[in-house]
Order: sequence, then C-alpha cells, then structure tokens
Amino acid sequence: MSDKNKMAPAKFDGMKDDDMVEIHSNLGREKHPPTKGFLVAPLIFVFVFGCLIFVCSIQLAHSTNSFQVHPPQEIVELTEEEKEALRLERKLDSGKKIFTSKCASCHQPNGLGIATQYPPLAGSEWVSANPELITKIILKGLKGEITVKGEKYGTSPAANMVAVPINDREIANVSTYVRNAWGNSASEVFESDVADIRRNTAGQNEQWIGEALQSEYLSGASTE
Amino acid sequence: MKFTAEQIIDKSAKWVISFFIASAGLWLLAAALLAYCAAAKLTDPFFLSTFEFFTYGKVKIAQANAFVYGWGGNSIFAVSIWIIARLAQAELRGRFLLIASGIIWNVGITLGLMGILDGHMNAHEMLEMPREIWPLLFISYSVIASFIIVTHRSRSKHETIAPQWFILASLLWFPALFIIAWNGLEINPARGTLQAVLSMWFGQSLIWLWLTPFALGVAYYLIPAITGRPIDKYYLAIFGFWCIALLAPWSVVHHLEGGPVPMWIPAIGTVMSIAMIFPIAVASTNFHATAFKDIDIVWNNLPLRFVIFGTLSYTISSYIGVVFSLPAVAKLTQFSIINEFHFNQRVYGFFSMIVFGAVYHMLPRITGKDIPVGAKSFHFWTSALGVLMLLLAYLIGGLTHGVLAQQPSLDWASSVIASIRPYFLITQIAFVILGFSQLVFVINIWKVLFPNPFQFLNNSSNDSAKNAVA
Amino acid sequence: MNNIFKFSIGILSALAFAWLAFVIGARKQFGDLEPTSSILEDNGSIPEGAELFPKQIAGIAQQGAKEYISLGCTTCHTQQVRLEDSGFDVERGWGKRPSVARDYIFHEDITIGNTRVGPDLANIGLRSYSKEWLHQHLFEPQSLISESICPPSPFLYEEKDFDTNNAIKLKEDQIDKPRFIVPSLRANRIVSYLESLKQDYELPEMSFIQQDEEIIETSELSTVSESKNSDSNLSKLPTWLASQIASGKEIYMKAAPGGGLCFTCHQPTGLGLPGQFPPLAGSDWVLGDKERLIKISMHGLMGEIEVNGVKYNNVMAPPGIPPGSLTDQQIADVLTYIRNDWGNSASSVSPAEVANIRSTVKDRAPMQMWTSAELKSN
Repeated sequence: MSDKNKMAPAKFDGMKDDDMVEIHSNLGREKHPPTKGFLVAPLIFVFVFGCLIFVCSIQLAHSTNSFQVHPPQEIVELTEEEKEALRLERKLDSGKKIFTSKCASCHQPNGLGIATQYPPLAGSEWVSANPELITKIILKGLKGEITVKGEKYGTSPAANMVAVPINDREIANVSTYVRNAWGNSASEVFESDVADIRRNTAGQNEQWIGEALQSEYLSGASTE
Repeated sequence: MKFTAEQIIDKSAKWVISFFIASAGLWLLAAALLAYCAAAKLTDPFFLSTFEFFTYGKVKIAQANAFVYGWGGNSIFAVSIWIIARLAQAELRGRFLLIASGIIWNVGITLGLMGILDGHMNAHEMLEMPREIWPLLFISYSVIASFIIVTHRSRSKHETIAPQWFILASLLWFPALFIIAWNGLEINPARGTLQAVLSMWFGQSLIWLWLTPFALGVAYYLIPAITGRPIDKYYLAIFGFWCIALLAPWSVVHHLEGGPVPMWIPAIGTVMSIAMIFPIAVASTNFHATAFKDIDIVWNNLPLRFVIFGTLSYTISSYIGVVFSLPAVAKLTQFSIINEFHFNQRVYGFFSMIVFGAVYHMLPRITGKDIPVGAKSFHFWTSALGVLMLLLAYLIGGLTHGVLAQQPSLDWASSVIASIRPYFLITQIAFVILGFSQLVFVINIWKVLFPNPFQFLNNSSNDSAKNAVA
Repeated sequence: MNNIFKFSIGILSALAFAWLAFVIGARKQFGDLEPTSSILEDNGSIPEGAELFPKQIAGIAQQGAKEYISLGCTTCHTQQVRLEDSGFDVERGWGKRPSVARDYIFHEDITIGNTRVGPDLANIGLRSYSKEWLHQHLFEPQSLISESICPPSPFLYEEKDFDTNNAIKLKEDQIDKPRFIVPSLRANRIVSYLESLKQDYELPEMSFIQQDEEIIETSELSTVSESKNSDSNLSKLPTWLASQIASGKEIYMKAAPGGGLCFTCHQPTGLGLPGQFPPLAGSDWVLGDKERLIKISMHGLMGEIEVNGVKYNNVMAPPGIPPGSLTDQQIADVLTYIRNDWGNSASSVSPAEVANIRSTVKDRAPMQMWTSAELKSN
C-alpha cells in the first residue's frame, strides 16, 4: 500500500477508516514530499502568517489603551492664558447664540435695531456703560422715552422692552457678547454680579423707567 | 457470514445513534417552528401578540437554544459517537447509559425552553435557560462525553488524526466553558459589566469552540472517506488546529467594541479574530484542495455536496466575519442584524449542512437502508435556497441597518426600521423554505430509522446484519 | 496529541489563557468598582460630602429589570452608549456621554444587549417620555409610532371602555371610540425601570460630551411665568390633549431649529407688544376660525389687521426656523397650545385638519404672506 496508489483512487469507493488513520498518520509524520511546485504552498502560508502577526501586533499596540480600566480621555495641557482665552471664547459663543434667539428679532443680528422702534446696540453708550445698566434692563425690561446715540426711542407707550426670562449665566453671556460685538469694546459681565443685582431687585415687578436709568448711568459720569 | 469491523461497530452503535438522530430531527423541527414565529413577528408585530408565551424576545431566544442545544447537541452526540467509534475501530461502550443521558439532556432542554417561554429567562447569552436545569445538562453531557472518550481510548492504533483532534477538542471544551460560565455568572457572579464580558465570551465560544471544531472534524473525516483521497497538505492541519485552540477563545469578545468595558478586551478580540484568517485558510485549503480534485464526486455524492456547501460557507462567511470585526466597520454594523447573519451562517450554513451530510453518509451504513437520491437532492436544493436567501437578506439588511442607524437625523422607526422591513419579509419566506426542507430531512431519516414503526414490538434483531453495507 | 490526557491538558490550557485574561485578570481589574463622586480631589480621593454616582435604583425598578429580562427585551434593545470613536450613539442623542463600566455596578443582571432592532435604552429615562407615553408604548407601540415593530404586550394591561382610577387614555388621531388601559403591577414595574435608566451624572473617567449646538430650551429658563394651565392642571385634561399642549408650548417657546420662535414677538405671556405684535391671550383671532390660523402658520401674515378691536399693521413671517418649516403635527400642536393657554380655552387642532388646509393651498408660494382681506374672504 504505497502512498502513491492512495493519491489517485481507481474508483470512488471512498477510504476505509483504518486506512484513513494510517495514511494520515504517515502524512503527519513525514516531511512534505519533495514534488515539484509543492514548496510554494508552505511558503505562501508562512508569508500570510508573518503578515498577520505583523498587522495584529500593530493593531494590538494601538488599540488596547495600555490595558487601562477606563477609556482614554484627552487631556490637553493649556497655559493659563490659553485657558482664559478659551473660557472667554466659549462665553462669547454662548452669548451670540442667546442674542440670536432672544434679542435679534428686534435689535437685529447686526445690532443696528430698527429706526424709531428698536434702539441700536452697536456703538450704543447704553451698552458700553456700567455693566449694571445692561443687566438691569435685561432683568426687568425698560419703558418710557430714552435717547440712544442722539435718537429718541420709546416715544409711544406701546414700544417697551419686556424682561427677558433667562438665567444669570445667560444674562452674563449675552451681555458680554453685546458689549464686545460690532465694534463695541467693554468689560466682561460676571454671573455673580448678575446674581447680586437680581437679588437686590427681587421685589421689583415693573419695568425700569428709561429716564431714571438714563440719568443714573449715562449723565456724563460714565463708568466702565 | 463474517462481519467486517465496520459492520460490528455500526451494529453496536445503532440504537444509540438512532435515538440521538431522531431527537435531533425533532428539535430541528421545533427550532424551525420557533424561527418562523420569530420572523413572522418582525413583519407583523401583532402575530400571536396576545399570548404572553410568545413575545418576540422569548421566541427568538427559545429558537436559538433549541437549535444549538437541541439540534446541535443531539447531532453532535450522534455523529461524534459514530466517527470516534469508527476511527478507533472499537465497539461503542455504555449504550444504555448513553441513551439514558440523552433522555436527560432532552428533558433538560425541554424544561429549559418551557422556562424561557414562561418568563424565567436569564440575561446570559446562550444560557438563558433557567439555572435549575443546568446541572441536568452538565451531568448528561459529561456521561456521554466520557463514554465517547472511553471508546476512543480502546482504539488499536495509537496515532490520532485530524478528525479525532477536532471532535475530541470540541467535546472537552464544552464542559470547561460551561463550568467557567456557571461559576462566573451564577455561583460567584461577577459584578457589573464583567458579567457581560463573560456572558458574551461563553455565548460566542459555544459557537466557535463547540459547534465549529466539531463540524470541522466531521469535514476532515468525510472528505477523505468519500473521495478516497487523503487530505491535501495535511501537515498544515495540526497548525490550524492549535491556532483555533489558542486564538478562538480570545477572538470572540470583539463584539464589545466601544462598550462599557476596558478597551483592551475588544481590542484583543479584534486582533485575534484578524489572526484567525490563518486557521480558516488552513482548513479551507485542506478541504477544498482535496475535494475539488474531482468535481464529479462533489456533485454526484449527496453527503459530500452538503459537506462542501458547509465548508465553502464556513470559509466565505468567516472572512466576512473578519471584515466585520474591524473597528471601522463594527462602528456601523456592531448592533445591526449582521449579528443574525453571523449566527445563522454558523449554525445553518455551516454546522447544519455538514451534519446533514454526515447523517446521510452514516445512516445507510447503520440501518442498512438507503435514502433515495431524489429525496436527498430535494432536501439539498431547498436547504441551499433557504440558507442563501436568509444569509443574503441578513447581510444586505444588516449593512442597510447599520448605515442608516448612524445618521442622527433619521428617525428610528420610520426611516431605519422601515427600510429593513423588506429584508425581514425575505427572512420570513426563507424560514418557511428552510422549515420545509427540514421537514423533508426528518421524513427522510425517519423512514430509514423507523421504517416499520411497530416492528419493534416483534423485536427482531437481525435486520442490520442482513443488509450490512460496508 | 495521541495521549488523551496530554491532549486534554493541552487544549484546556489553551482555553485557560483566555480564561485567565478575561475572567481572572478582568475581574481583578474592574470587578470591584465602587460608586464615586463626579470630580476627585487632586490626590485622587473623594471630596467630603460629595454625591456618589451611580446610585442604587428603587426597588420597583429592580423588579422591573427582572420583568424586562423575562420578556426578552434584550433581544432587540441595547443599553450602552458607545465611545465616540466607536459609534454614533452620542451623536444620535442617546446619551450625554458614553457609558462606562462603573455605570452598571448596581445592575444585578447586565442587559447591555448586542442588537438594536429597537433604539438604545441606556438613557431612556432622560428622554422626555411621560409615564403615560411609556405605558401606551408598552401596550401597543403601533398606536404611537405607526412603523414600529416592537411587539405589543396587551397581556400586561386591562383594556376598558370607560375611564377609571389609574386608567390611561390612549392617544389617537380620531377619537371615535376612546380606549382606556389600566396598567398591571408588572407594567408599572417595567415603566419604573425604564424611567430609572439614565446616566445623567459625570464620573472622573467620563464627562459629558460638549455638543456643538447649545440649544436653549424652555427647561433652562428659570423665570418663565406660570401660566394658568400649569402642569398640574394639564393632568385633568385628556392625555392626548395634554401632550399636544405640552408639545405646542415647547414649539412656541423654542428658538432653535425645530421650534417656532413665537415668543420673541408674541411674548411668553401671550400679550404681544402693544402697537407692534397682537396679543394671543383672549384674542378673537386665536379663539376663532381654525382655518385662518392654520394658513397664517404656513405662510405668515402682513398688512393691517384688527385684533380685539385694536389695529395692527406689521409683518409676520410664518413660524418656524427656517420660516414656514413647521410640520403638520407641529402646527397642530402649537395652535392647540395657544388656544389653550393664558386663559384661552378652545378646541384643539388636529394634524389632519392642517394637512387638509395644506392641500388646498399647495400652489401658494412659501413666503407669500396672507392679508386680512384674503383670509376673511376664504
């Protein structure tokens, strides 16, 4: 029973079990027979195996997060200035969004308002004055005649500004934005200050009188 | 009249194997019915919805368990017993205990499935059956495996070959996995997502380390047995075997990509499943280089046709599986119905087809009666059609599902799910075809196993001797 | 290979490598996680008095978890928000941040799932579904989401023709025969469990993901005036009406894509701006003909109109961001809202009515605003 005979069966009557065990055991024991073209196959397998090991090692080194328990968190080290700049940038972004959604419908996205109806904010002395002013207006609203950049607004009792129902953080953000947009340049408004003003004016249910605020904050002694 | 060794072995194993094959066939039909119910519920959610027994989740899980433990378990027992006995050239020992254990196994699964449908399901993958029946399964399995090993040890030739390695490995891995899972999930349960890791490890390993090596072993036996040629490049088989042994237990956890577990777990899983390319290539070369030397015999011999369908399906789908384990692809498809593609490919396209081939090869030798070629061919074509429809529907549907799911603007029900409902309909039709083909299979084997159902009352014992076939 | 004992040792050792890593090693690494505070001190310790997360869930929710498993919900739903690099979950709004291992330490059975035929549920408690909605979804998902393939669970409820204590009215488009369901104890457990599913706290290893769009929603506004129809009153209304009003209010107050931008002119108080924007509270237009309102909601309004005897002459862009983009359902909801707040009480508007009107005006250009004359004559 040479192996050569078993390689080419005479008819398809299968292989007996004890023959199977014997033949395959022999095959397993022998080194591969040196027939032509046969050596190519194992080389291919060695190559494939090698590539796999290489690819897998790289993937393994890359994606195991050093066997840590917790997922990777990007920790970016910023200098103090960078942190401050980032904070301010986020505040202005937030303020812009609030402005667009709550204020722009009247004061317009370009801050120019509508003549005789809504005062402009760009270049307005009301905006750049003491931050208390803008905070108070947003908190409670404003009624009565006022003068902004030389023009009169609020001449009819109908044209008032209602209180904007947003929280302290949002007031601080939108005020800071308005005070620094369209060429304006004024100091930041802080949430804690807004909270103080809110607390101090808690009992007030009416809108501010425009004239009163105008005389308090804008009559010559403008403070930053 | 002198009997050959094969005839003696077959005769000794006849009743045991008949019992297991018959049970396997019944479980196959039960699983087919449950599969149809599940698929129908996806196309029409109101199908049987008033019955609490048949919520979609329960039916789906019951089907998976019936298929893997019922059909898979019984057919593994039947075919393993036969192949190990034949290769050992030894008579089967412990027949009574084997049948008794088989009965306990089947009773256990029946109770388990009733438990699932009654609402006592666990949250563990492939261990959803109530924990009270786990001891039944473990003990009956251990008895059966012991006797198979005893039969193996009484072999005359000392050397072992590939079919034996794969089949014995699968036999031994199951209890090891079971004990580890039992301990880690019930006796000494892990806390938090560690439980999920173990649950997934067990559920997937059941497929990769129990069903798959067994089916590979059967293919390593049947291809030389039918074609008469030894396995081509057989010296690679040992490498392939040990690669599966070392890599597969690691590769199964890649489904946890991005999940609430440390990153190294799915990372290792992905890497090892890429590395699995090597053993898949080895097995594929062994099988196909041998079988395709004579295309005629692949075509004309029905059992071999089934086996080669299975091995081709294994090769192609395993490579597809490797692609889907890459993180870039898994991002899309990890939670889509591609998972169904993987599961059904493994159990229907690969495992079942190889078992069908083994059963058709084995039964005529055991019972002495042949099954008409037309019947087997009909079974083959309906199976192939059903399997291909099913797999294509899940593959394309799964890709659609994954791609649509990742677009945040698409509403879930009206866009994502609505787009894959046609694929669910196709799977429903596929399950009807598969159910029908499985019915054909069961009829084929029952006709051979129990040709005269009432003859056992007469207790004639020389049937197989008269019609012995080598 | 030939000796069965050596062979067994060989293959079991091969298995043991993986076992050592995934069972033993992993257990050592993260099997003992404890709750911790959102931010740790510099030396890694927990600040004194800090709140610890995650928290235990209530008993009824624990029971609900068992019901969830026994009904097989894990077959279709996952409960994990993946890392950003590995998935689109956070983008889809399924969580404020990816899930981590610590989130699950108080779950007795881990149900993170592996397939999403249905959406992820890890943070379903955070999404704005009311108890009634969840119950109705559990009873018959198709009554809320017509394309859903989630299986109905009618066996968890008792269906009745009449309203009783604890009954939930099913929301339907046409109310020809009202249906009520009474949840069973099991249904209540499941809904409690779903409501408890939220990962709304930060942990040292994972903080909330900054979303690109900071959407300012009504829920963040701190001083919204209480309208007459407060939430407690809403519960006295039929559920479907209450939910339509709640949804309409959200649209009215929302200034981001998907909203109506109504309050910026008509004010949150519905009083409008005298001389500029007419009021909606007590307005004869709002309480009157629905067709007129629907048309304005689609194309806007311009020119002189008289509301409650007062003349206004202005331009109203059709509500929505961008203008005119509200869907039939949204128009129906917001009109129902304005007809039922600030003392108003009028019949609701249904999406079907809106669709009807839309089909009659489909040839009209999108920004061709209505005039008072046109609306009166129709």
